[in-house]
Amino acid sequence: MRSHGTRIGSHSPAAVAVLLAAFGAGCTAEPASPAAERDTLVFASSADATTLDPHNTTDTQSDQVIWMVYNALIRYDPEMNIVGDLAESWEMSEDELTWTFHLREGVRFHDGSPFTAESVKRNFDRVLDPGQGHKRLSLFEAIERVEVVDPRTVRIITKFPFGAFEPTMAHVSAAIVNPEVADRYGSDFGLTPEATSGTGPYKVVSWRKDQEIVLERNDDYWGEPGRLARIVYRPIPEAASRVIALESADVDVITHIPPRDVARLDGLPGIQVLKGMSIGAQMFRFNCVRGPLADPRVRLAIAYAVDRRAIVDNLVAGLAVPSTGPLTPIMRGRADLGEFPHDPDKARALLADAGYPEGFETTISTTPRYNMGVELAEALAAQLRDVGITARIEVLEWGAMRQFWGGIRPEDNPQEIFIMGAGASSADADWGLRPVYMTTPTGTNENNYGYYSNAEFDDLVMRAMQEADRTERETLYQRAQEIVYLEDPPGIWLYDNFYVVGARSNVQDITTSPLGVVTFEAASFVPES
Amino acid sequence: MLRYALGRLVEMVPVLLGTALLVFSMIHLVPGDPALLIAGLEASPQTIERAREQFGLDRPLPVQFWRFLAGAMTGDLGMSFRTGSPVVEEIVDRFGHTFIIALGATLLATAAGMLAGTIAAVRRNRLADGVVMVMALVAVSTPSYWLALMLMLCFSLWWGLLPSIGVATPWHYVLPIVTLGAQSAGIIARMTRSAMLDVLAQEYVATARAKGVAEGVVIVRHALRNALVPVLSVVGLRFGGLLAGTVLVESVFAIPGLGRLIVDAVLLRDYPMVQGAVLVVATLFIVVNALTDILYTVVDPRVRLA
Repeated sequence: MRSHGTRIGSHSPAAVAVLLAAFGAGCTAEPASPAAERDTLVFASSADATTLDPHNTTDTQSDQVIWMVYNALIRYDPEMNIVGDLAESWEMSEDELTWTFHLREGVRFHDGSPFTAESVKRNFDRVLDPGQGHKRLSLFEAIERVEVVDPRTVRIITKFPFGAFEPTMAHVSAAIVNPEVADRYGSDFGLTPEATSGTGPYKVVSWRKDQEIVLERNDDYWGEPGRLARIVYRPIPEAASRVIALESADVDVITHIPPRDVARLDGLPGIQVLKGMSIGAQMFRFNCVRGPLADPRVRLAIAYAVDRRAIVDNLVAGLAVPSTGPLTPIMRGRADLGEFPHDPDKARALLADAGYPEGFETTISTTPRYNMGVELAEALAAQLRDVGITARIEVLEWGAMRQFWGGIRPEDNPQEIFIMGAGASSADADWGLRPVYMTTPTGTNENNYGYYSNAEFDDLVMRAMQEADRTERETLYQRAQEIVYLEDPPGIWLYDNFYVVGARSNVQDITTSPLGVVTFEAASFVPES
Repeated sequence: MLRYALGRLVEMVPVLLGTALLVFSMIHLVPGDPALLIAGLEASPQTIERAREQFGLDRPLPVQFWRFLAGAMTGDLGMSFRTGSPVVEEIVDRFGHTFIIALGATLLATAAGMLAGTIAAVRRNRLADGVVMVMALVAVSTPSYWLALMLMLCFSLWWGLLPSIGVATPWHYVLPIVTLGAQSAGIIARMTRSAMLDVLAQEYVATARAKGVAEGVVIVRHALRNALVPVLSVVGLRFGGLLAGTVLVESVFAIPGLGRLIVDAVLLRDYPMVQGAVLVVATLFIVVNALTDILYTVVDPRVRLA
């Protein structure tokens, strides 16, 4: 609720009337009613969703809404266990190629049409169809085909035993869309409320671009119905405005809070701050074919030269912890390899060993798109100077930075050390290691932005991808992570990020997922006393 | 009048052609690949290649320019790379908000500025003059971004009088209009003051006073009307500039306007959106300038249209 503050001294009835009218109009602009339990929640994130088609989403703002509107066959629960969503149970065949899902009964899409095994088949046929060109096709490349056994049973057959199958099927892009609506709208699916249809606890009733998305409760939902009648998503691009909007109760929940505001908000009455571990980490990567960086000893030296604790304590205190491996603690298959030691002497010894006793010159490329991007580069440069490496800092705008990441030949890529975010949206080791560190077949950098190449690593992650046995998988990934973290680093991991959400104190049961989204299927307001 | 308007319309064509060529070249020369930016970091090379084909980026540049131009002439500005919706639709959705804020800011700035400038001129070298000119200086020097946040803090957070973000009610437009109008108000105040001082020194003003005309009438009927011409030029130019420059205010107040649309499009290299939106704004700017010129003849009957 708004704080009333002091009434400005009123000298005439007219002035009072004007003030009251302004205040009153301002109050009625609020979406909620003061009496009874509030049933509309307003959420502000940093940008509008781009699409509500799960097969095409590449940003968390779209993911957030998609999670409320659709279901997948299986999903992660808040403790990162995989549980059934639209599937009640599932099993893998002896030959490890066939997964059979037993589907829930009585589930309907928002337009009333029934959800059956046929819906699942048509859904995956759609995302796998190269003609339609969905952005998330590559995530499902391991799937050979989908077969309908009966209306409540569907089989998914993979091309090889796919170790990351379950995390992939719990990914937001594995959500099941209404095949009738998808066929009708084609590539416009997910761009307007009429063209969006799933089985989820909420449905889209309006979407004014850059302004708001309004969801209403699906009263025919097959599961636990939502407590809130309406949820409104408002994009507020300016961080300071987002924080003010939360403090003045114009919105109820926000994300992407600037670091210096987090501690302050935490102490304010009427506001709560929620934090949890996420899949995201901050790192710098090396161009592994350029100059001194081509020598693993040099890269290892840089890893020893960095003081991660100092960086965390000074730049992102309370928002991250130093990394203990190339994957964050909540990711499947991750190995805990401890904090990398800060040892400048060892760094200098390695450099001398590699033939650079006087150090060398290099460039650190960074972009403010990553939180503290410029400050991190400055900290890194200062720490490298300690061991004799002189680093020039280059600050680039995102578009200029991004153009070197994908399809660029080594001779056209001038980057040396560059900032990078680490994190796989499936919360699984396969997606978090293989595309980004495996030798690329074409010689351009594709998703392996630094041209990293290690034969033993390649072999391990290929075998692990096709390994269905969890223990065996974990052993392979353990060794793979040791290689990149301790022996032959493609980059240096600085810290693992928390996912931070700010909310009014009267909102309860917000679901924060380490995948970096906040959802409201169980949320409600504490009743006014 | 009609011939004049038609003449100006014809003049628009080469200007817009030049603008189209300029914005097309600039956005294509800036480093950054739209396919990479829009496909996302986890996209495979095939997805990126498909995006490139979809956007027509694999065609030679002259072909791309011709497609843009041919479309623009029939009113089709293409499809946004980012959202897949028609560019015209996105612009129309956003335009209303920006127009209201720009127009409101212009009207507020003109009214407040002219009032302040007149007071300063009439009370020249006295306290009121000094106060008004200092306020004008502050208004011109204050960054709109800072002013926006300060107003939001005071009026939304501390005093709870006005809503902070969005466009749900007419009250939501108050703070953005005040923020945007402040700088222009300062400029108009100073312009009005100096124009008024010029006019008040004229002989016919002295004559009017000698005739016994009331001071108020002298100021408004005789002096202000003659001071309007230079002020009008400033107002016309400011409105056009405001149309394009609302992006800071739109970002702070979370208003879904044209300024933000263009900036977001540039950052993501959404070529059709940037090209289309800049062309629309350029057209508006030309129209506003033409209207301003026509308005001169209303204000000052001595001015003839060319």
